[in-house]
Amino acid sequence: MAKFHPELDLLTEHAAGNLPLAQAACVSVHLNYCEQCQRTSGQLHSLGAALFDQLHGEPVGESLLNSVLARLDDAVPLSYASTSQWSAGSTPAILQRLMSGDLTDLVWKKITSTLRISYLKTGDPNYEFALYHIKAGGRIPEHTHRGSEMTLVLEGGFSDADGSYHQGDFLLRQPSDVHAPTAVQSEDCICLAVLDAPLKFTGWKYRWMNPFLQLNTG
Amino acid sequence: MVDTPGETRSGSQEFVGRRTDEWSECLTLIAAKQDRAAFTRFFRHFAPLIKAFALSGSSLSASVADELVQEVMLKVWQKAGGFNPEKAAASTWVYTIARNCRTDMFRRLQKFDTPLAEEDVFPEQESEEPFALLQGRRTQERVRELMATLPADQMQILAKVYMEGKSHAEAAAELDLPLGTVKSRVRLAIQKLQIQIDR
Repeated sequence: MAKFHPELDLLTEHAAGNLPLAQAACVSVHLNYCEQCQRTSGQLHSLGAALFDQLHGEPVGESLLNSVLARLDDAVPLSYASTSQWSAGSTPAILQRLMSGDLTDLVWKKITSTLRISYLKTGDPNYEFALYHIKAGGRIPEHTHRGSEMTLVLEGGFSDADGSYHQGDFLLRQPSDVHAPTAVQSEDCICLAVLDAPLKFTGWKYRWMNPFLQLNTG
Repeated sequence: MVDTPGETRSGSQEFVGRRTDEWSECLTLIAAKQDRAAFTRFFRHFAPLIKAFALSGSSLSASVADELVQEVMLKVWQKAGGFNPEKAAASTWVYTIARNCRTDMFRRLQKFDTPLAEEDVFPEQESEEPFALLQGRRTQERVRELMATLPADQMQILAKVYMEGKSHAEAAAELDLPLGTVKSRVRLAIQKLQIQIDR
C-alpha cells in the first residue's frame, strides 16, 4: 500500500479538475494504487457537487432545449458494461492508453548504463511525461530540478536520502531539491516522472550533459 | 457565484435509503424508456446550472457555454443507464459530467492533441458493496449540510477553485492573499466538512 501521497491541496485541485493534464494523469495513477486517496478524492468531489448545486442558474433559451431534443435521436444511449475502472494490480488503464499497449511494448532511450527513458505523449505542451527504467541497484546521477517533478513508482522501488519508495508512492519535488535516487537491489524499478523543466545534473561526471537535456513535452 | 447558505433547492437533497427524488427518477425514466418529457424536466433544472458553471471564471463566451450545455445534456441522455441512485445524487452525477466536459472543452480550445479524455483521468470508483455505498451517500449528505456552516472567506476560495477552475496560486493572486492563507482556508474548510484524510 502506498505510503507517500499527494498533499491535500494537490488532491483538491485534482478533484476540481484543475491540474494540467500530465499532472492530473500522474495523480490519477496514484489513486489507482491508493484506496485512501481514492476515498478522500471522492469526498472532495462531493464538495464540488455541493457547490455546483448552489450556483445561480444562468438563463438558457428554449431554442437550446429544442436543438438538444432534435439531436437526441443521433445520440445513442450507451450500454454500461465497459466503463473504465480503477484497477489495482494491473497497469493502470490511463497508462495503457498512453502506451498503446503494455510496458513490454515501449521504446526505451538509453541515458546511462543503468537508466533508460521512454517518453509518452499526453498532448500537454508544458510537461514531459516519461517512464524511467532503472536497473536493480542502479543509480540516477545526482540532480536537481529546474522546475517541479512528480514521481510515481510503478514497479520495483527506489530510495534517496529522504526515504524509500515502492509501488504507488507519489513524490513531488520542487526546484532545488537535490537527490540521487537508487533502485532497490532486488528488482528493476520503473517509475513515472512528470517534469515542467529539464533535470539538471549536479555531479561533475554528468554535468556536461545539462545543455543537451531538453524537455520532451506534448 | 454561490448562493448564501441556507437556501434549499427542491428535489435533489433527499437521502433516505434508496433515493427517490425527482431528478434521480428523471434519470431512471430516461434510461429505461428514453423518456423525452423526463429529459425536458431535467434539462430545465440543470441546463441553467451547467451554463453558470461554464461561465464561472468566464473565459468561455456565451455561445461556447451553450455548446457545453448541449454537450453535457447529450451525455446525460446517453449515459443515464450508468447512473446509480444508490451511489450518488443526480446532481453529483451531472456535475461529474459537466466538470469533465468543461475540462475537455478547455483543452480543445487550446488545441491539445491528446489521446486522453477527462473520463480517463477519473475512472469510476469500483466499490459497489452496500456498506461502502451507504457510507458514500452519508458523506455526500454531510458535506452538503456542513457547507452551510462555512464562513464566507472559505466559501469564496472553494468557489474559485471548484467552480471557476482556478489553482490555489491563481486564487491567491486574484484575491491578493498569500498562497499560504489560501491553502489554509481550503484546509480548514475541508476539516469542517469532515472530509476524511487518512495518511
